Amino acid sequence: MSEHERTQTQPSTVDAESTVGEDEQSTGARTVIEARDVSVYYGQEQALQDVDLEIPRRQVTAIIGPSGCGKSTFLRCINRMNDLVDAARVDGRLRFDGTDVYGPEVDPVALRRRVGMVFQHPNPFPKSIYDNVAYGLRIHGRTDELDERVERALQRAALFEEVSDQLEKSALALSGGQQQRLCIARCLAVDPEIILMDEPASALDPVATSKIEDLIESLAEEYTVIIVTHNMQQAARISDQTAVFLTGGELAEYDDTDTIFEDPDSQRVEDYITGKFG
Amino acid sequence: MASGGASVDRLHGSTDVRLERLKGRLFEIALVAATLVGIVSLVVLFGYIAFDTFQPLTASIQWYLIYIGTLVTPTAAFTLYARRHPPIREANAKAFAVIGGALLVSLVTYIVADALDPYDVLLYVLFGAIPPAVIGAYARRSPDRTYTGPAVVVSTLVGIALAAGLYGVLRPIVGIIAQWVAYVGIVTLPVGAIVAQSVSRRWSLRRAALAVALVLVGTLAVAVGALVAGIEPSLPVVLFSGAVVPIGYVVGDTVANEPEGRIGVLGPFVLIGSVALGAFIERSVGVQGPESYLTPSLLLNSWHGRNAFEAGIYPQLVGSIVIVGFMSLLAFPVAIGAAVYLEEYVSDSGWRGRLATLLEVNISNLAGVPSVVYGLLGLALFRNTLGFGTGVVIAAAGTLGFLILPIVIVSAQEALRSVPDSLRQAAYGMGASRWQTLRTVVIPEAFPGILTGTILALARAIGETAPLVIIAVATTTYTSPDGLFSTAAALPLQIFAARSHPDPAFRHGIVPATAVVLLILMLMMNTTAILLRNRYDRDTHE
Ligand SMILES: Nc1ncnc2c1ncn2[C@@H]1O[C@H](COP(=O)(O)OP(=O)(O)O)[C@@H](O)[C@H]1O
Ligand SMILES: [Mg+2]
Repeated sequence: MSEHERTQTQPSTVDAESTVGEDEQSTGARTVIEARDVSVYYGQEQALQDVDLEIPRRQVTAIIGPSGCGKSTFLRCINRMNDLVDAARVDGRLRFDGTDVYGPEVDPVALRRRVGMVFQHPNPFPKSIYDNVAYGLRIHGRTDELDERVERALQRAALFEEVSDQLEKSALALSGGQQQRLCIARCLAVDPEIILMDEPASALDPVATSKIEDLIESLAEEYTVIIVTHNMQQAARISDQTAVFLTGGELAEYDDTDTIFEDPDSQRVEDYITGKFG
Repeated sequence: MASGGASVDRLHGSTDVRLERLKGRLFEIALVAATLVGIVSLVVLFGYIAFDTFQPLTASIQWYLIYIGTLVTPTAAFTLYARRHPPIREANAKAFAVIGGALLVSLVTYIVADALDPYDVLLYVLFGAIPPAVIGAYARRSPDRTYTGPAVVVSTLVGIALAAGLYGVLRPIVGIIAQWVAYVGIVTLPVGAIVAQSVSRRWSLRRAALAVALVLVGTLAVAVGALVAGIEPSLPVVLFSGAVVPIGYVVGDTVANEPEGRIGVLGPFVLIGSVALGAFIERSVGVQGPESYLTPSLLLNSWHGRNAFEAGIYPQLVGSIVIVGFMSLLAFPVAIGAAVYLEEYVSDSGWRGRLATLLEVNISNLAGVPSVVYGLLGLALFRNTLGFGTGVVIAAAGTLGFLILPIVIVSAQEALRSVPDSLRQAAYGMGASRWQTLRTVVIPEAFPGILTGTILALARAIGETAPLVIIAVATTTYTSPDGLFSTAAALPLQIFAARSHPDPAFRHGIVPATAVVLLILMLMMNTTAILLRNRYDRDTHE
């Protein structure tokens, strides 16, 4: 975190000045997502408590914790998918490249074009494989060189070899693991900066899971990947940083993955990781 | 040992267990009885109606033998053969669907256009279709399609409004052309466009041009042939371009590209050939057929008040189709708009959420309001408030539209609700706006369901009688309606009128025969709904 210059990718249309304060000193170009005191409520119920977190660029950050502790909630804060839940309310400050994601001028639709998401259960559209990958490009009006972009996305998602001769076939005819890689390809096709993954392998068999894991590691060369998982070995294998959320929606510890798994600060995290609860 | 004795006891069962089992049996028997009562009484009713209509006892034994030999045996044999080979069965079903569908659509188009005046229909079709076609063609070339969607809708509406506004000027100009040329515009051009689209997508633009040229030349040849033979060419032109062309395209394509199933396309031709053969033998041998009331003259004649064998229901048939057609134009967009709003836009909380809940409760209640009450609503609105004439088409269409509105809204809402939320999440997660999510994912996925619900509602509307009586649609009519503001005619009303005719041939012949026609119309709609749904399910969810 030695560089203090702002990144060029910061959108100029969004008024970031007002939100730039003392935190700016600590956020270098390495940090892409910065959460400060983020709390989320569903109606009266609090799902996240004052989460403070800085997620570095082009690395894999894992979020682990017992179920119901708010992992998915935190992930959905980043691309504002919580907006779709009527009862949800987000407090605190969440910055993407220094811009307050919940600022008045941020359009969630524009935000989601830069922050892609892969869900727990593969959810391809009931369209052809090609149309699935081309979906984002089409709705964003980027239809030039469509074929090339679709092919490249499928290749980056390590799916092209398997489907290259059946691009017009229904995506629903693919296996679960292929469907999930298709969803990743769909997400990659629009070149997002961040990819959020919510337990992307939990519905898959071991072989498909290991393919997805390999894929995630290779994605980290180009993208920032934030992955929720309930599988601790998986987090240990593929991530650079790990955040441990514990029941009640608090962030118990956040550090390099090695530190978290070998020498965690807090006893509760150690108990959780060694399987004493959760 | 005490515990051992207890477990043996349990295995042998006790009176309790036997009693429970007996109760279960009795319940099952009661269920079977309930099912049978329902089905058997319906079968008896339909059998009774069919018996009165077709008078099967008046036919001689020889007649049955002829048709068992020429019709039943070959058709059944072919069907059994086709059923054992899936590709053949598939081709067979496809051939039946395209032949039945194309014939039906072109005949309905013809009789509706004929009733409403083909020149008027041409005028509105041209003005409604050309602007969006031009915009679509332009949009295909330009990279920016932001405004294409709204432009298509607006241009269609503007085109139709323009046609209505300039009607006085344009109608005489259109009127110069021969009537069959108007049908070329109404049927041949759209069919040609569809063929061109399909051919160019599958093969090449050159072949598409060739195919269109073929369609046009063929149509022209048919028209010239009819003129030479001294027949009015309108119907031949419609049948050629509306039925022969699509049938030829699909059947030819199947024969050429599906070698395994190509035999299957013979199915409908076997059926048609058998009927023709039977009729030929019947004619040449001179056997006594049944004195059926359901004859071509019933379908094609106008009403006749005295002679049951000359009475026809053509005006009522056309009237029912026209009413239901206009009704769908009025009700479909409104109902689907309401359903999409209630299902996709309104949030669950706040005053709008409460308003939506209130609306939804009311809509489900409206679906159960007696149709007579809708008749009163139609009377109050269309005649007393808007001052339309008595029993005109638009009043009938509007009244029935109100009647089916809640039904369509509820079924469309259900269809939208059945679209998995994960698909919406996927679209939003890709940075789609709500409108884009709806247009590209939710509505396409819900569409077959919406369509099915709508067609079922149409089938309900076509049989409605009470509201039409209330808005004073004439029960007996001698001419088909020729526009929105002309007097309506409807099949169920004619049944109602003929029921009180002094001549028993009307009461026990024409009434059931007309009921059969109505039932067949309804069955065709329901079949269409089922076919569409199955087809879509197979296409996207394999
Ligand atoms: N849409 C929602 N409405 C109400 N409560 C929710 C909603 N989504 C999640 N919650 C609640 O928020 C808490 C955290 O949920 P979630 O983020 O899904 O946990 P995790 O992904 O860690 O299992 C849970 O108690 C859950 O019941
Ligand atoms: Mg979760």
